[in-house]
Amino acid sequence: MANVFNVQIFFIVFRESLEAIIVVSVLLAFLKQGLGGATQDPVVYKRLLRQVWVGAVLGVVVCLVIGAAFIATFYTLGNDIWSKSEDLWEGIFCIIATVLITFMGLAMLRVNKMKEKWRIKLAKALTKTPANKKDRFKIGYLAKKYAMFILPFITTLREGLEAVVFVGGVGLSSPATAFPLPVICGLIAGIAVGSILYYSGSTVSLQIFLIISTCILYLIAAGLFSRGVWGFEMHLFNNQTGGDAAEGASGPGTYDIAKSVWHVNCCNPEIDNGWDVFNALLGWQNSATYGSVISYNIYWLFIIVTILLMLYEEKHGHLPFLKGVTLRSLNPMYHIKGKKKNELTAEEKEALFEKVKAARIGDDSAEDGTHEAENSSLVHEDVIELDKLDKKQAL
Amino acid sequence: MHFIYVIWLFIWAGIITAETHTFHFNVSYVTANPDGLLDRRMIGINNHWPNPTIRVKKNDRVEIYLTNFLENRNTSLHFHGLFQKDTNAMDGPEMVTQCPIPPGETFLYNFTVTDQVGTYWYHSHSGSQYGDGLRGVFIIEDDDYPFDFQQDSVLTVGEHYHKETPAIMKSFMSRYNPTGAEPIPQNILFNETNNVTWTLNPGETTLLRIVNVGLFVAHYIYIEDHTLTIVEIDGGYVEQVEVDSIYIAPGQRYSVLIQAKKSPQQNYRFICVLDYEMLDLIPSDLQLVSTNWVQYTNTKELPGSIGNDYKKIIESLHPAEEFNLIPLEKVPLYPEPDYTIELNFTMEVLGDGITYALFNGISYVPPKVPTLMTVLSGGEYSTVKEIYGSNTNSFVLQPNEVVEIILNNMDPGKHPFHLHGHTFQTIVKSKSGENEDEPLIYNPENATFPEYPMIRDTVQTNPNGHIVIRFKAENPGVWFFHCHVDWHLEQGLAITLIESPLITQEKQTLIDNHKNVCESAKIPVQGNAAGNFGSSKKSWLNLHGENVQFSPLPVGFTLKGYIAMALCTFVALYGVFSIYKYGMEDVNSDNIENKIEKLHKLLADCGETDESAMFNLNSNGEAVNQ
Repeated sequence: MANVFNVQIFFIVFRESLEAIIVVSVLLAFLKQGLGGATQDPVVYKRLLRQVWVGAVLGVVVCLVIGAAFIATFYTLGNDIWSKSEDLWEGIFCIIATVLITFMGLAMLRVNKMKEKWRIKLAKALTKTPANKKDRFKIGYLAKKYAMFILPFITTLREGLEAVVFVGGVGLSSPATAFPLPVICGLIAGIAVGSILYYSGSTVSLQIFLIISTCILYLIAAGLFSRGVWGFEMHLFNNQTGGDAAEGASGPGTYDIAKSVWHVNCCNPEIDNGWDVFNALLGWQNSATYGSVISYNIYWLFIIVTILLMLYEEKHGHLPFLKGVTLRSLNPMYHIKGKKKNELTAEEKEALFEKVKAARIGDDSAEDGTHEAENSSLVHEDVIELDKLDKKQAL
Repeated sequence: MHFIYVIWLFIWAGIITAETHTFHFNVSYVTANPDGLLDRRMIGINNHWPNPTIRVKKNDRVEIYLTNFLENRNTSLHFHGLFQKDTNAMDGPEMVTQCPIPPGETFLYNFTVTDQVGTYWYHSHSGSQYGDGLRGVFIIEDDDYPFDFQQDSVLTVGEHYHKETPAIMKSFMSRYNPTGAEPIPQNILFNETNNVTWTLNPGETTLLRIVNVGLFVAHYIYIEDHTLTIVEIDGGYVEQVEVDSIYIAPGQRYSVLIQAKKSPQQNYRFICVLDYEMLDLIPSDLQLVSTNWVQYTNTKELPGSIGNDYKKIIESLHPAEEFNLIPLEKVPLYPEPDYTIELNFTMEVLGDGITYALFNGISYVPPKVPTLMTVLSGGEYSTVKEIYGSNTNSFVLQPNEVVEIILNNMDPGKHPFHLHGHTFQTIVKSKSGENEDEPLIYNPENATFPEYPMIRDTVQTNPNGHIVIRFKAENPGVWFFHCHVDWHLEQGLAITLIESPLITQEKQTLIDNHKNVCESAKIPVQGNAAGNFGSSKKSWLNLHGENVQFSPLPVGFTLKGYIAMALCTFVALYGVFSIYKYGMEDVNSDNIENKIEKLHKLLADCGETDESAMFNLNSNGEAVNQ
């Protein structure tokens, strides 16, 4: 079954397409709220609407093409180099996949946060004024006119390429036939969920759905991590025995007895039908080692601890015992890119969104847009902090 | 009356002319380069390797004082094929009839060669030590051969390893060799060297005694354009058979007559080919064909090497099938057996991940006391099979009974089985079975036996086939029966036959020299297989502390597995639960009512209780105070 449907690929495509849909939905929401004077002029609205859709779809299509080309060339050229150290490569790919899935998984549970992040990003992109007045006339002019095309195009293209890289990393241990089906299913699922999100806002039932899919995703990730470690141990054993001990067999002598925690002669995910699904979803091995069992438990402990930290941070604004430190700030890139000073307070965000509304997009009189934005920001000076949770949530 | 005197005269003549040959063998390492490719240590005698050929006559006495000058290895010497009648302690196998000889000790082998003539050999019986070179030929000359010859020559064939056997053993018996693949040799040795030229005088008949002194592989041997006439196998004369080649397994001997050409026009190649089917893996650079030469005294140039196309060469040969060689004496089939031993041979991976060879599920493990010493100290209990241990595969034989051994080879390999202290009739030798899953099991119902079965002491068993042998228990002592592929012997493919233990006690005692060697080796000389003894049967049956084989591999889940599975399940469930909690947080905090509640709480904290404060929603749908 794993020969036609690679579960990890499905989830990665699902998540990436979900994010792409969110981008599109945010842009559409901006339009609805009067971005670029869209509410004033139905013709402009329609034009901008079309731009958004064309940009998004085109980005996805280009990604699919690039992705297919990449996978195809890889499979026709390079597949044999893996076979000598098959288990080693499989182990490496599994670990890569686990890392990728771990990071992207939990974000799916904060879909609102995702939405918020994109709102700010896109708003900034739309209201950025080129410093040099001269540039306004050249690229800036074109950029402003077709901003609603370029933005979704570039965003979906970038997200999609990210997906291609992730899928490549995760799926290269599978045969080429395992690619098309999960990619298509992932796209459909992502689009479906995203549409629901757009039309109905965040609801409890949608959240439950996201929770279930994240749980499955992490079960898969834990299984992958365990399988990666198992693959390394298998590779080591193969080197020591000078061959591929477990090739096509499950009996005595196909595993290292000193490292075995359990071994059954049936139910081998590599050769028995159906058990490969069990392996893909839960990391089942018919011949478990200390490494594979312990790594499975360590992974889950890691997730549990991370979740507890994140919950704590959301309640109290910082990590336990470390005032002023958030999970985000533990990322070294955070400090390098100077993201701290880019965090906006709620007031700044409001101002930004008003600017967006007033910005003339696709309009020839783009220069005036900045003035009006500045004026309208004066209106909302006094804002009560609803609660600390809200502020941090927006970050 | 005269007649009686004449007989007495002959007997005395025989006794008087019987010689005593005394040898002092100092066993030590000698550096040699047998195959011309690598200098390595071989185990030589009196600082010389290859080791000397011992030639004695019928009824002679042999005394060998063997001193072990190997730095850190024990040693022993077994005389392959000799009956050792009433001198079981001189037979040689470690922990069966003697203690291993530690470095620095001297061991006396003292026996007579009665009732036998022919070609035999001697070799170390300490593990796979003879592969390192401690081996040589032992010939008992007859005074009256049933055939004529002018020359008496010896040929040993075997395989050669570049590594020393302790190192080979380590990587062979290891869990990193899960299939139990036997070590692959590096070369063939022809008279312990290679590229040999053998000079023949035209017209002469030579008796060539061929011995396979290897650890593992059988050989095909032939001389181009010459036939070989088989006259003796394993010390027994046979009706002459003329063949183009012989197939000889480790331990076996064949004596053949070679008729040199009367007017030879050229010289000929003398070829030896390894039986490649016994090798699990054939490295591309392995020479399986050894080309040597027969040179007639009128010198002409030698033909070139025949190359390495072993398959093609073997296909062209028609060696004699040993089963059909009829003994010259025409010994009729032994009567119905008094005792039948059925041995089912399998190879299995035991709990340490190593492949072992098992007879009826038991892999031979040496006891703590050499079995012969258990017999000698066991008193009345020496007829009780159990005192010899649960892992020595021991069987007790009664005096003079006809014993039949049925051996079902459930392994796809060829195995030469050797019985110490006897020759046996091979009454059934099946062809190879189809495959591992359907071995040919012996079925006595339809069996037919030859009138004059073949007699020898080492017989080849075909893959997935079976053999049936019969012999008479007329030689009191402890006799080893094992596969002569030494790697398999190390894996435990052996049984111990305790023949007429009470008579053994009567007629044989432990000489002081042997007791001293045991003391030096710190091995007890009395007790059962665990070294326990006492005055009651119970103490002799107490095998607590004996050496046993490794327990079998655990099948399925053990306690360890269940605990691991439970732990994984628990952790995964808890992980899933945390994800659920995290996800639901978003829902809860997203809830408008939740927010209003929080706001109330905030206001209450600040001291404001005005619940009528107005709220506006900003562009994001959040409540903002105006």
